[in-house]
Amino acid sequence: MVRAVRVLLFATARTAVGRRELEWTVPPEGIQASELARELATAFPKLAPTLRASRLVRNGHPVDRPTTRIRPGDEFAVHPPYGGG
Amino acid sequence: MTGSVRLSRRPLSMASAARALAGPDLGGVVVFAGRVRRDRRGPARVRAIDYEVHPGPALEVMRRLDRDARRRYGAEEVVLWHRVGRVPAGEIAVIVGVAAGHRAPAFAAARYLIDVLKRTVPIWKTERARSGRRPRGRRHPPTGRSSG
Repeated sequence: MVRAVRVLLFATARTAVGRRELEWTVPPEGIQASELARELATAFPKLAPTLRASRLVRNGHPVDRPTTRIRPGDEFAVHPPYGGG
Repeated sequence: MTGSVRLSRRPLSMASAARALAGPDLGGVVVFAGRVRRDRRGPARVRAIDYEVHPGPALEVMRRLDRDARRRYGAEEVVLWHRVGRVPAGEIAVIVGVAAGHRAPAFAAARYLIDVLKRTVPIWKTERARSGRRPRGRRHPPTGRSSG
């Protein structure tokens, strides 16, 4: 049974953690997006400032509420401020 | 409507973009290219920019911008192409092209597309100096090193 969320890290988030991707175990009922962000910031203190400035994205769509539930099997991406072009 | 939204690891061509915007009824055509330029400040010259992308969301936003340009400005044909991976100085990193009936909507739509692309499409860049490392004194993500 899937218990993990696939966490994708880009740009400064990737360099803060030193990895592009993590498997993050969550409860079977899921976890709020804000709580997952807090867990990541605790586990990777260098990630905390980037998280504060980042958009959180669940399964390709922006998380518009901190209470959005992230469930096992979801993809959860950390998007620092964009800089294309 | 033949919208053209693309993320590419290969060089982008202005000529290809112009061909994609061709049409006998399209009197105004604007093609903008943003090139990676060498950083002339400081001892470490920028030799390339690495572009990182979250492909699914990036393409979704780019398709939305394409639709917006048509609806808001009357663009008839749109090109929205962006490089990913390492792009050496001098090469094109992004092409925005619009064809419309007249010049005013073409200019307005092209300006809208490049400005909003930079703010809303999940693409990030990291400058690379001659050594392959970031230039000293620059923090990621850098700004204003390409596309004019």
